[in-house]
Amino acid sequence: MKTSRRQFLQSGGAALVGVSIKGDRAIAGSFVNDSFQMGHLLRDGAQFAQANQVVKRAVVIVGGGIAGLSAAWRLNKKGFSDFVLLEMNEQTGGNSRWGENEITAYPWAAHYVPVPGPKALYVRELFEELGVLKDGQWEERYLCFSPQERLFLYGKWQEGIEPAIGLRAVDREQFQQLEDFIQNFRATGKFTVPMEIGFSETTAELDRISFAEWLHAQGMNSRILNWYMNYCCRDDYGATTSTTSAWAGIQYFASREPEEKGPLTWPEGNGWIVRRLLERVGKYVQPNRMVHRISRHGKRFSLLAGNTEYQAEFVIFAAPTFLAPFVVEGMAPLDDFEYSPWLTANLTLDHFPDSYGGDATWDNVFMESPTLGYVDATHQSLRSYVDRTVWTFYWALAEGSPAENRQLLLNKDWNYWKEAILRDLERVHHDIRRCVSRIDIMRMGHAMARPKVGAIFSAERRNLAQGRGRILFANSDLSGFSIFEEAQYRGVTAAEKVLREIGGRA
Amino acid sequence: MGILLFITVLLIAACGLIYELIAGTLASYLLGDSVLQFSTIIGCYLFAMGIGSAMSRYIHRGLVYRFVWIELLLGVIGGFSSALLFLAFAYTQGFQLLMYAVVIVIGVLVGLEIPLLMRIVRERYHFRDVVAHILTFDYLGALGASLLFPILLVPYLGLVRSAMLFGVINVVVALWSTFLFAKQLATAGTLRMVGVVVLCGLGIGLAQATRITMAAEDNIYADEIILARDTRYQHIVLTRFKDDIRLFLNSHLQFSSRDEYRYHEALIHPGLSAIAAPRRVLVLGGGDGLAVREILKYPQIESITLVDLDSEMTRLFSTHPMLTALNQKSFSSPKVHIINADAFPWVDANTDSFDFIVIDFPDPTNYSLGKLYTTAFYKAAGRHLSAAGLMVVQSTSPMFARDSYWCIAETLKQAGLKTYPYHVYVPSFGEWGFVIAGHRDYELPISLPAGLRFINLEEMPALFQFPPDMAPMPMPPNRLNDQVLVRAYDQDWKDISH
Ligand SMILES: Cc1cc2nc3c(=O)[nH]c(=O)nc-3n(C[C@H](O)[C@H](O)[C@H](O)COP(=O)(O)OP(=O)(O)OC[C@H]3O[C@@H](n4cnc5c(N)ncnc54)[C@H](O)[C@@H]3O)c2cc1C
Repeated sequence: MKTSRRQFLQSGGAALVGVSIKGDRAIAGSFVNDSFQMGHLLRDGAQFAQANQVVKRAVVIVGGGIAGLSAAWRLNKKGFSDFVLLEMNEQTGGNSRWGENEITAYPWAAHYVPVPGPKALYVRELFEELGVLKDGQWEERYLCFSPQERLFLYGKWQEGIEPAIGLRAVDREQFQQLEDFIQNFRATGKFTVPMEIGFSETTAELDRISFAEWLHAQGMNSRILNWYMNYCCRDDYGATTSTTSAWAGIQYFASREPEEKGPLTWPEGNGWIVRRLLERVGKYVQPNRMVHRISRHGKRFSLLAGNTEYQAEFVIFAAPTFLAPFVVEGMAPLDDFEYSPWLTANLTLDHFPDSYGGDATWDNVFMESPTLGYVDATHQSLRSYVDRTVWTFYWALAEGSPAENRQLLLNKDWNYWKEAILRDLERVHHDIRRCVSRIDIMRMGHAMARPKVGAIFSAERRNLAQGRGRILFANSDLSGFSIFEEAQYRGVTAAEKVLREIGGRA
Repeated sequence: MGILLFITVLLIAACGLIYELIAGTLASYLLGDSVLQFSTIIGCYLFAMGIGSAMSRYIHRGLVYRFVWIELLLGVIGGFSSALLFLAFAYTQGFQLLMYAVVIVIGVLVGLEIPLLMRIVRERYHFRDVVAHILTFDYLGALGASLLFPILLVPYLGLVRSAMLFGVINVVVALWSTFLFAKQLATAGTLRMVGVVVLCGLGIGLAQATRITMAAEDNIYADEIILARDTRYQHIVLTRFKDDIRLFLNSHLQFSSRDEYRYHEALIHPGLSAIAAPRRVLVLGGGDGLAVREILKYPQIESITLVDLDSEMTRLFSTHPMLTALNQKSFSSPKVHIINADAFPWVDANTDSFDFIVIDFPDPTNYSLGKLYTTAFYKAAGRHLSAAGLMVVQSTSPMFARDSYWCIAETLKQAGLKTYPYHVYVPSFGEWGFVIAGHRDYELPISLPAGLRFINLEEMPALFQFPPDMAPMPMPPNRLNDQVLVRAYDQDWKDISH
C-alpha cells in the first residue's frame, strides 16, 4: 500500500462525512396498489350495485394488462374501433404498472423484455412501431446499459448472475452438460417464444416431472448449478425447481438465443410499453371498472361493471383466467391454474450506500437469499451523474405452499415486510438504512401463473387457449407461465380471431 | 591551516542545518501542518545533537579517524535523506517513523562533530580562542545555510539535489581532513578510498535526482496545492509550482498551464479552421474555458454554448484571478452561454444546430463517463451538426491507450460519421489523440487565426499520420449495452503501469 497525499485527503474526507452521519433515519412508506380486496369480492359472490345504463359495443376487452392492451392495439391498428377495454384498477398496466417520484420512474413488477427472437413476430412488429427496432437494429438506449447484472457470493460481487467464481471442476462440467442439453432442445425448434409456435406433443413427458427431478435424473447434483436453476425458476415463474415443470425449466433456456446483448429495459420497466400502448389506445380504456358478471343472452353478452351494463358480441377476457369462473356465468371451476404469490417494493435512496461496491449495476442478486435482489431504476438514465435513485426489490414467495404464503402476505403488516426487506439488503449493504427514506410495498397474491408439473399439457389450459366461441381468453397465463411476449401474443391473437369472425360475417 | 580549519567548521555547520531544514520542509510539504513538523523536527534534532555531544566524551583515541568517519556517514545519510524520504512517502506506510529516525541519526552525528573538532585542535590554540572561533564559524555557517536554502537551493535545485550537494560537501570535508590532520591519523588510505566511493555515489545520485523525484511525484501532487474543493460532482484540485498551474479532477490531470496551449490549440483549430463560415459552436465539457479561449479567436463566431455538469467549476474559471488569467476571461465574453447540465440528456432534448461541436470529456474511466463515448451519444450529437458542421472529440492517447483511442474512432464511425483521427504531443500528457467527425468530408484548413503557438498549416498534415506504434487497431464500437471502451481503457492503463 502506498500512501499519497491524494489518498490522505480522501480518507480525511471520508472521515468528515462519517462524523456527520447521524443514526438510522425514519423510513416512510406503506402498502400500495392492493387489489386482493376486489378479488375477494368476486370470490365471495358479493352483492354489487345495479347497472343504470347500457353501453353497446361489438367487443369488450376485460383487463388492461399487456394482454388486454395488446388486443386493443391490434383492433385499433386494423381500423376497428367499436370496442371498449374495462380495467378494474385506477391505473392500467396490470403486472406492467409503473410508478414515478421526483427522482425517476420505476416499475412495479415487469421490468424487462429479453431481446425478442425471430419467431416473436407480433413483438417485433410492435417494437418496430415503437422505434425499439429500426432497420433490423435494436435501439441502443433501450438495451440494458453496461454493467447489466451482478451476483453477491462469498462476500464479494461478481459480474453476471450465473456463478463464475468458486466453481469446482464438477460444477463446470455440469454447467457445460446442461448447456449441451439446452443446445439440443433448442435445435428441436419445439421450445419457442411464443410457446404456441413450437409446441409439440413429443415434449409431453417433460411436463410430467419437476425440473428438480429432471436435473437429478441427468445426474446434475452440483449445489451451485441447482442454486442457479432454482434462482431462474423463482425469477421467471415465482416457483422453485421442484414446483416447476421440467418443460418450463427447459423452456426458460431453450426458447431464446439473443441476437443482441440485452435485455430491453426502461426506467419504468415494461411500464414504458404500457405508456406507448396507452398513447395509441388510451381512448378505449375505462379504468375503475371491475367486471363482476358476464352472462350470455342469445347472441349477446352482458357484462356488468360499476353502474354500467356493457352489451357485446365478443368478449376478450384478458384478466387472469382463474377469476373467470367467479365472473362468467355457468363456467366450471378450474383445477390446473396455479399462481405464485409475490411481493415487490420500491425503495427511495437519497444516496448510494458506501458499501455499494463497484460500478452501478442494473440487476443485483445475492446468492444466499430467498429474495431476488433489486433492480436500479436510474440505470437506464442517460445522465453521467446520479446520486439518488430508486431500487425495485423483488421477492417471489416461492418456498412452501402458495395458499400459506398468501395468508402471510395478508396477515403481516408493512413494518414486518419493511424489516424483512432491509435485513435482506443488509447482508450486502450494511449501511442501507442510512440511505433509504421510503419503502412502498406491493403485495400480489396471484401475481403470475405458475407452470407446475402438468400445467403446460393440461387439457383445461389447452382448451381455453384454443379460443373457440365468442368469449376468448387472452391472459398470459394461458401459456402456463406469464411473460411479456406471451401476454402480447395472447392478446393479439384473440383480437385477430375477433376480427376474422366479424370480417367473415360482414 | 587556521583559515582552512574555520572554513571546515563553517561548512559542516551549514550541512547540519540544511539536513534539518530539508526534513522540516519535506514533512510540512507532504504531511501539511508546517508548525507541527518544524517544531518536532527541530526539537528532535537539537535533542539528538545533545546526545551526540554527550557521547563525544566516550571517544578517547583516534579522534581524527572518527571525525572523518562521521563526515563520511553524514555525507551518505544526509545526502540521500531527501530522496529516501520522498520515496518512502510515495511507496511505504512508514514515512514518519523513517523521517524521525533520519533526523535523530543526523542530529547525533552533527552533535559529535564540534566537540571532536575542538579536541582535535586544542593543542594548537588557546582554549578560549578555540571556543570563540569555532562557535563563531558554526553560527556563521548556519546563517549562510538558512539564507541559501530558501533563496537558491529549493527553487533551483529542489530538495533532493540540495541534500545530495551538501552530502558532497560533507565528504569533501572528510577528504581534506585526512590531509589537514594527517599527522594525527595513522592510516589515511582506506578513509580516502571510502570517501571517493561515496563521492561517486552522490555524483550518480545528483545526475539521477530528477528521476527519483519523478518516481515519487507520480504518487503525490508534488506541487503546492492552491485550491482543493469537493463539489457535488467531483474533487477539484489546483496545484502550482512556480509558473505551472495544474488542474486535477478526481485526481486525474486535466491540464498543465505550461503546455495546455498545445492541447487546446490542437483540439480546436484543425477542425474549426476547416469550416468556411462558422457561427454557432457547442462545447460539451471544457468547464475550464480554455477551449472557449481558442474558439474566441474566430471573430465571425456569434455564439458559443458551453454545457458543463459542474457549476462550481465554471464559476471558478469565471472568477478566480489565476484561472481567468489562463483562459483570458473567456467566460466573460457576451458570446458565451454557460449551461450547467448533464451532457447526454441535454444533447438529447435540445434541438439547436451548430457548426462546430467540441466534445471534451474526462477519460472513460467508468461506465457513467463511458456513456458519453457511445454510438448512441455520437448519434445524438451528430443530429446537432449543421450541413457544413464538424465535431471534434477528445479521444485519450493513441500511444498509451491505443485500443481505447481506436475504439472511440470506430464508435464515431458506427454512429454514421466520417472520421479523421489525429494526434499531437503534449508534454504533460504524452501523445494525445483527437478525432474530427462529421457527415461531410473534412479537408485541411487553408488559414488559421493569428497568434497560435503550436498549430500551423505546414505541420498540420503530419498530425493525421500515425506511426506504427500508434497505428489503427481493429476495435468494436462502444455501445451503451456493451461498453467495451471502459474495459479497454482500464486494460490499456494496467498494461503500461506494470
Ligand atoms: C413481480 C413480477 C415481475 C415480472 N417481471 C416480468 C418481466 O420482467 N418481464 C416479463 O416479461 N414479465 C414479467 N412478469 C410477468 C407479467 O405478468 C407479464 O409480463 C405481463 O405483464 C402479464 O400481462 P397480462 O395482461 O397477461 O396480465 P396482468 O398484468 O395480470 O393483467 C390483468 C389485468 O386485468 C385486470 N383485471 C383483473 N380482474 C379484472 C376484472 N374483473 N375486471 C376488469 N379488470 C380486471 C387487472 O387489474 C390487470 O390490469 C412479471 C410479473 C410479476 C408479478
